[in-house]
Amino acid sequence: MTKALALLNDKRVRDVVYQAALLLGLVALTVFFVRNASENMVKAGIASGFDFLWRNSGIDVPFVLTGYTRSSTVLDLFWAGVANTMLVTVVAMVLATALGFLVGIARLSSHWLLSTVAGAYIEFVRNIPLLFFVLFWYFGVIAALPAPRDSVSMFGVAFLNNRGLTIPLPEAPAVFRWAVAAILLSWIAQALVAAWARRRKERTGQDAPVLAIGVVLVLVLPALAVTWASLATGWDVPVLRGFNYRGGFVVIPEFVALLAALVTYTAGFIAEIVRGGIQAVPRGQTEAAAALGLRPGRILRLVTIPQALRVMIPPLTNQYLNVLKNSSFGAAIAYPDVVSLFMGSALNNTGQAIEIIAMTLAVYLVIGLAVSAFMNWYNARIALVTR
Amino acid sequence: MSAASASLWRQRLFGSPATGVVTLLLAAGIAWLAIPIIRWALIDASWSGTTRADCAAGGACWVFVKARFGQFMYGLYPQDQRWRADLAGILFALATAAIVFAPPRLRLKAAIAALVVLPALGIWLLAGGFGLRPVETREWGGLMLTLFISVYASLIAIPLGILLALGRQSQLKVVRLVSVLFIEFWRGVPIIAVIFLASLLLPLILPGGVGIDRLARAVIGLGLVIAAYMAEAVRGGLQALPPGQREAATALGLTYWKATGLIILPQALRISLPAMTNEFIALVKNTTLVLVVSILDLLGIAQASLADPAWVGMNMEAYVFSGSIYWLICFALSRWSRHLEMLGRRQHR
Repeated sequence: MTKALALLNDKRVRDVVYQAALLLGLVALTVFFVRNASENMVKAGIASGFDFLWRNSGIDVPFVLTGYTRSSTVLDLFWAGVANTMLVTVVAMVLATALGFLVGIARLSSHWLLSTVAGAYIEFVRNIPLLFFVLFWYFGVIAALPAPRDSVSMFGVAFLNNRGLTIPLPEAPAVFRWAVAAILLSWIAQALVAAWARRRKERTGQDAPVLAIGVVLVLVLPALAVTWASLATGWDVPVLRGFNYRGGFVVIPEFVALLAALVTYTAGFIAEIVRGGIQAVPRGQTEAAAALGLRPGRILRLVTIPQALRVMIPPLTNQYLNVLKNSSFGAAIAYPDVVSLFMGSALNNTGQAIEIIAMTLAVYLVIGLAVSAFMNWYNARIALVTR
Repeated sequence: MSAASASLWRQRLFGSPATGVVTLLLAAGIAWLAIPIIRWALIDASWSGTTRADCAAGGACWVFVKARFGQFMYGLYPQDQRWRADLAGILFALATAAIVFAPPRLRLKAAIAALVVLPALGIWLLAGGFGLRPVETREWGGLMLTLFISVYASLIAIPLGILLALGRQSQLKVVRLVSVLFIEFWRGVPIIAVIFLASLLLPLILPGGVGIDRLARAVIGLGLVIAAYMAEAVRGGLQALPPGQREAATALGLTYWKATGLIILPQALRISLPAMTNEFIALVKNTTLVLVVSILDLLGIAQASLADPAWVGMNMEAYVFSGSIYWLICFALSRWSRHLEMLGRRQHR
């Protein structure tokens, strides 16, 4: 008896007992849920398994980037949804970063009115639900745009109206592949030049004209390539026929509304991150750099930004992951993303709740983990090297 | 305006040519945006009347908001029973005030008393039964439902979040692993998917015949996700405490739970409170997502009111009114959170 008591008072034994009890409880709960689910599914006549993925989907999707048609399989529907989710996420990330940096820097401006306007914008968007913005842009703004006949024309080639944004489509998209290849090549060249210049600077202390070469390689060459490709192909410019535009590519209003909502909302959060990051650099750093004789532009580039970035990257990663997750708000206005297509339409048609939910959640978890891993790698790369 | 402050403003707005140009450009932009909005919302707006015909063209029709005010606040809750929602709201407000303003000695007792009594009392008042007329959750809606979901989801999220944060710091490997997996899973998936998931899976995994209310499913789903976010907010406070605190408590002979309850949590939660308030703001904003399972909270009621044939074209009025209420709630909470943060920083010095 005393031996048993002594055993119970041993911290190591107790720890093992506690953990075993927790595990046992979790396993029991899982078994309980799984048994109920299988019973309920038998009652409802739903077969489990992933066979449904190869069945015909029969669902019309208004906005497709992949080769999906209504006679494709359910699995193709899944990929079409993933592609739409990725498209809106990536475009929103880029635009929100640009707007967020602008607003964040404006917030720090010494100009009183500019900083106040930026502050008002941040306080406005951060304290209103994102779903509000999505509905507002869709039902309030896009629905109030003129009908196709009175479209807002952008240089006579793109037209904005209440059925979305109609843009011209290249007739020979193959030439753009060459342009993209040229752009990638010149960017790789730029990376090589930068690495060579850095090594030379470390060895000999001599500067290379990196900036001039960089402008040519990063901006001028790609611009030339795109211009050449645009001239080489014919363009299918949308033309008004009767009540709507013919030709071109229609960016559906759901995409425009969701993108506008994601960008304006996320920019408010990114602006605060930018402000916090720049303010986190101690003033002594810029003062010391100035005392060493650096010009203001170089202080910003060599002293302030590298240190501010280090503070900004973890919260920025979080915001990018939020954009990915928040792109699912499109389900509220039927933007065909993976949640609305797969978890909505496909689930209604097939009734395979568990399989479909697991696949949908896996999309977000896999992308989220990949982005986190990349950001951790990047973070480690730019981290302060201490001796 | 005195001469000194006039010169200060001149310096601020027109100190140099560049400053002056920026000021003029911004002022033009603000005027271009604000003048039509003010004309629409105030000058050309119609305030009195009862039907759409009483509204002048070109301005906002606030008659619409007046006529549907009850719906915006209570949804389809029976009119003669709305006092119950008011009473529940007043009780919750009083309890919150009592906890915030009670002398520190009594605060914990007040909080525990409120936590034991209020949730059940609130559900009884709203849902009825036991002498009150039953009102189905289908009829709940509007601002009342937004507040209900926020409060009840955080009743799940805060205790669970604290446990998860403690679990993540635990010495026991299995506990730590389970907590980390739980937190990272819920933080990794979109909340809209979780609400779908809760409304589809909860009835499936419970024993056949056990029905679960639609609203309860949404509240449980939201509660589980927010718990993961709350756990991260609490973790910040736990990590800010020097390890000497727990070591000293253990050296004094306190058990794990005694040390946690008496030494660690009181200090850690005080540090975490601003972050937890921010999570609560996020929760209030995310309650709008119940729209996707056709539960009509404030935004949902505004959206549904657009379909009323008697009030066609009231999109802007509905959005401006509901949006301002969300903004006021969240802005007030964020100011309070900032105030707490300042207070904490001052105490630390």
